[in-house]
Amino acid sequence: MKELPEWLTDNRGTAALAAMLAPAAPHSLEALAAESRAMTLRRFGRTMTLYAPLYLSNYCSSGCAYCGFASDRKTPRHRLEMDDIRRELSAMKQLGISDILLLTGERTATADFDYLRRSVETAAKEMQRVSVEAFPMSVAEYRALAEYGCTGITIYQETYNREHYEALHRWGPKKDFIARLETPARALEAGIKTVGLGVLLGLSNPLEDAFALYRHVRHLSRTYWRAGLSVSFPRIRPQTGGYQPPFPVDDRQLARMIFAFRIALPDTELVLSTRESAAFRDGMATLGITRMSIESRTTVGGYCESDDDGVGGNEDEKSEKGQFEICDDRSAREFCEALRKQSIEPVFKNWEPAYNGPSSLINSAV
Amino acid sequence: MDSLQIGSYYFSSRLILGTGKFSNSTVMLDAVRASGAQLVTVALRRFNREQAEDDLFGPLSEIEGVTLMPNTSGASTAAEAVRAAHIARELSGSPFIKVEIHPNPQHLMPDPIETFEAARILVQDGFLVMPYIAADPVLAKRLEEIGCASVMPLGSAIGSGQGLATSEMLNIIIRESGIPVIVDAGLRSPSEAAHAMEMGCEAVLVNSAIAVAGDPPAMAEAFAEGVKAGRKAFRAGLMQRSGSAIATSPLTFLGS
Repeated sequence: MKELPEWLTDNRGTAALAAMLAPAAPHSLEALAAESRAMTLRRFGRTMTLYAPLYLSNYCSSGCAYCGFASDRKTPRHRLEMDDIRRELSAMKQLGISDILLLTGERTATADFDYLRRSVETAAKEMQRVSVEAFPMSVAEYRALAEYGCTGITIYQETYNREHYEALHRWGPKKDFIARLETPARALEAGIKTVGLGVLLGLSNPLEDAFALYRHVRHLSRTYWRAGLSVSFPRIRPQTGGYQPPFPVDDRQLARMIFAFRIALPDTELVLSTRESAAFRDGMATLGITRMSIESRTTVGGYCESDDDGVGGNEDEKSEKGQFEICDDRSAREFCEALRKQSIEPVFKNWEPAYNGPSSLINSAV
Repeated sequence: MDSLQIGSYYFSSRLILGTGKFSNSTVMLDAVRASGAQLVTVALRRFNREQAEDDLFGPLSEIEGVTLMPNTSGASTAAEAVRAAHIARELSGSPFIKVEIHPNPQHLMPDPIETFEAARILVQDGFLVMPYIAADPVLAKRLEEIGCASVMPLGSAIGSGQGLATSEMLNIIIRESGIPVIVDAGLRSPSEAAHAMEMGCEAVLVNSAIAVAGDPPAMAEAFAEGVKAGRKAFRAGLMQRSGSAIATSPLTFLGS
């Protein structure tokens, strides 16, 4: 069994985090919120960067106990072809979306690297910014994605508790805890500009996972000092497998975690998806979160309401279950209105394709 | 007339505004108007040709008497910044480019090596190059040598509100510079802007302190007044601090 990396037990900075996170922490939630809000305003201003997910395929080779797309689920499987992707992107553009996250399951023969690369190439022609949340790849594969216009990779460890991790990932390539742990570093090695980290809250002890996640961020910052890092706070949502999370995290705990991460990592992008309720998202918009998803569909082909080839179109598929149930189902318009009411500007475009491609530096070995 | 001169352009206002971080473009435009700024910077990544609502370029280009200085914020290498500068010139028609290269999108610290290289190329391409740099006196002179139109050293980290934390280095840069020195980043209050002007900066650039104020247009006006007061004081000649006293009358009576 491979050894755990040393950084997972690096205690630099964790005492301050512990003081904010522990259940008996001396800081009141209100005091943390005030500090987090002030730091967010100073550093990020009154803006919220918006992105939307696009599920390319729900084929999967892994057996994650908590996922609606695990390979033993009876859910219908689809893959978007390039024409479908173009149609979805066009529907998304109508909503103002210009920053997207492409998602697939673990690598399969149907949704393999070549398929993903072609999808990135297609998407980068239409969108200002393209990120990918898919299977772990090699340095060469990540570099190829960067060359075709992918600027960001999202790769959650799900939990940093190895025992729980290995039990939850029942089969498939995702079962290898260390391989997963080393993936963000490979993406950064390849010149991917931003990496999104996170734990799936509910799977394991949230405090332990928060410390490990913090260590992972700090380790990557020190090792790949050019890296743009973001942290997400996904909580387990109901999904087709009916998995019940053994460590549920309530709103106050999650809020405390977000505030503590903002204060401990003042410059890091903090992300909150439509897994969370409208009320929680609106509340967090001014208190620490700087990037949010909008108009999420967690089914494959969810943006085109009616479609000739049937993907996402017929009655059966309208009731099709996605990877998980979203909670904030407001339209982009409604969501932006709520942000504006709080004097936050929704920012759809906060990137320029001129900055795409793996970094090439002056006189550098990188 | 005491004007700020950059290249062959003259500005009566010495307050330059950054346009990000505002709650909406109406507030931003009100702040720009209230500040009397004639030069404003806007990130190319916030030019949105397809989605009008968050676009900053369109609304800014319609304000009378304001010149746009696009910036390359988001670029992490010289090559990216050069590409961005050309796109920005194409779209805006502005001769100015604020070269802003952050190798790390988190800390927003400028990369001196990439910035120097981008500036060198862009000067040759005919831009009025305004590089955002750390307060490094040697780098400032190197950028002057290759033909930059100004240098824009940081007072402290972007969005930190730490004011003129780099003032010792800024003093050297100002004393030695043959091109306008514009303090960019870190200013929190009009008094700090006044201080920067008293030190002899030719202008200051402010964004966060105005954008996240309770009343951005009022704060913009306050900064404008701070800048004016500081400039007037600099031109009037500040009294020396004690410890650097000089004789009040020249010693000509002693003969040579």
